[in-house]
Amino acid sequence: MQLTINGQSHQVEIEPDTPLLWVLRDTLGLTGTKYGCGLAQCGACTVLIDGQATRACVTPIESVAGTEIVTIEAITGDAEGRRVVEAWVDHQVPQCGYCQSGQVMAATALLKQTPQPTEEDIAAAMINLCRCGTYNAIASAVRQAAKV
Amino acid sequence: MKRLGLFVAVVAVVGAGSAWFAIYVPRSPFDGEARPAPGPLERGEYVARLSDCVACHTTERGKPFAGGLAMGTPLGAIYTTNITPDKQTGIGNYTLADFDNAVRRGVRADGARLYPAMPHPSYAKMSDDDIRALYDYVMNHVQPVSQPNRPADIAWPLNMRWPLAFWNAAFTEPGTYQAKMAGDDLWNRGAYLVQGPGHCGSCHTPRGLAIQEVALDERDPRYLSGALLDGWYAPSLRNDHNTGLGRWTEDDIVTYLKDGRNQHGVVFGSMMEAFNNSTQYMSDTDLKGIARYLKSLPGDRTRDGEPWQYQPVAAAAPRSAGQAIYASQCATCHGADGRGRAEWIAPLAGASSLLAPDPASAINITLNGAGRVVADGVTDAYRMPSLRSKLSDQQIAEVLTYVRATWGNHAAPVTEQAVKALRAHTDPASPDPIILQMR
Repeated sequence: MQLTINGQSHQVEIEPDTPLLWVLRDTLGLTGTKYGCGLAQCGACTVLIDGQATRACVTPIESVAGTEIVTIEAITGDAEGRRVVEAWVDHQVPQCGYCQSGQVMAATALLKQTPQPTEEDIAAAMINLCRCGTYNAIASAVRQAAKV
Repeated sequence: MKRLGLFVAVVAVVGAGSAWFAIYVPRSPFDGEARPAPGPLERGEYVARLSDCVACHTTERGKPFAGGLAMGTPLGAIYTTNITPDKQTGIGNYTLADFDNAVRRGVRADGARLYPAMPHPSYAKMSDDDIRALYDYVMNHVQPVSQPNRPADIAWPLNMRWPLAFWNAAFTEPGTYQAKMAGDDLWNRGAYLVQGPGHCGSCHTPRGLAIQEVALDERDPRYLSGALLDGWYAPSLRNDHNTGLGRWTEDDIVTYLKDGRNQHGVVFGSMMEAFNNSTQYMSDTDLKGIARYLKSLPGDRTRDGEPWQYQPVAAAAPRSAGQAIYASQCATCHGADGRGRAEWIAPLAGASSLLAPDPASAINITLNGAGRVVADGVTDAYRMPSLRSKLSDQQIAEVLTYVRATWGNHAAPVTEQAVKALRAHTDPASPDPIILQMR
């Protein structure tokens, strides 16, 4: 199966129902994307598929062949992604950091779809869980990244 | 005086006749036959798989075929029986004729009538060969287990079983399946499997006032037209475009029964049980026969409504409460476009369980999640989680109303009351749960 990840093409021989997260971390060694709940509930494994925030733990690879997959490793190569990461650094968002790659991916997807998000848009899109409770810092960073 | 005497005589004769009818042991083609020598395991085991005996005659953590599963009836719970060859508590003393009378005629060796929770109206159509093979399997290949049967919770006088003899007379059809000239061999094999051992109608055919299936074969358009049972809505298996198998090909049906999934959906609810224990073990030819037969049952446009067609969500559409819940709780797997992910995650767009008039299955799986689908010994990688403690009755009603009215779906809204009722009924901690799975 042919997968395009961060602009690079990968040939993988793997069962078609394998979750994308397994392939990213175990087969390709891209461990920036984290395993959280495995049930599409927490968002730690969020990646972009054709620009859409998608939870890799519940995404069978058969369904993403032929799409553009972007992970946290390549996010600064993306215009919105770069702004998001800079805002994250400015606001010193992470505490433990485990959920943050998923948060950055979700914020990038939001700005791609809605460049000038309202407070409501931010609340509706940023639903990934953070057990350190960095939600206020996340919201501030997203507001900054949205100001061009 | 003479007329009174005649009247008394008539009453006495009718009474005695009825009493005899209610308790007599019917004749079996195997009467007087000596116990046959053990046959090959595979033959009888296959019939047991076709008939899915284990689904009811085994509890979740119990020994195989030892019975004890509670089945809810309007009169009280009854418990399935020990059908292992144990001589004291099982059916070790049954002759082939006794076994035949229980399976095909619903009559116990002592003449007592079985509750029709046992699908003997369907099993009546099974061939002599299959009954003989099934007897061989149960008597010679199943491990005997000493486990006494649990009496039913039905109080006197409703626990008297003799009236069931009259139920049988009214609602069962004697005689095994007879091949029909109109169909080819494959069709006839499928008809036999669906009507007989497979007892598909037990869940998928509506039931009448006496809880009898309203039809036992394709001569009646209500046969396999969909029915509500124990908190799940078993959809139509007829060629209904929206709520049945109208958009499925024969190959789609074969794949569904063999792998537990296809591009239209994944087995869940009671069908997951039927798949785990029964349909995945059927031969390709048998599955093709079932598909051929089911595809020959016409749909009913009046009942089914306007044919479903995919419609994308308009980008500018105002965001409803249900849509917001969908985006945060459901879209991560089922997709914002409602199309699911290949055959691994079921599409909601066009799903027959969402287009069905009764939303029970949709509410049930949202509240309780899906069970474990085990295909070929491997459990499923993706499973619907339970949202019972995450979403309120109102939220579930809103999100289901949204998915039942989006992407071309056009089914009635779901009420908060309907969610509330099913939440209480399917709560494992409630004092009076309905049996979650009809097995």
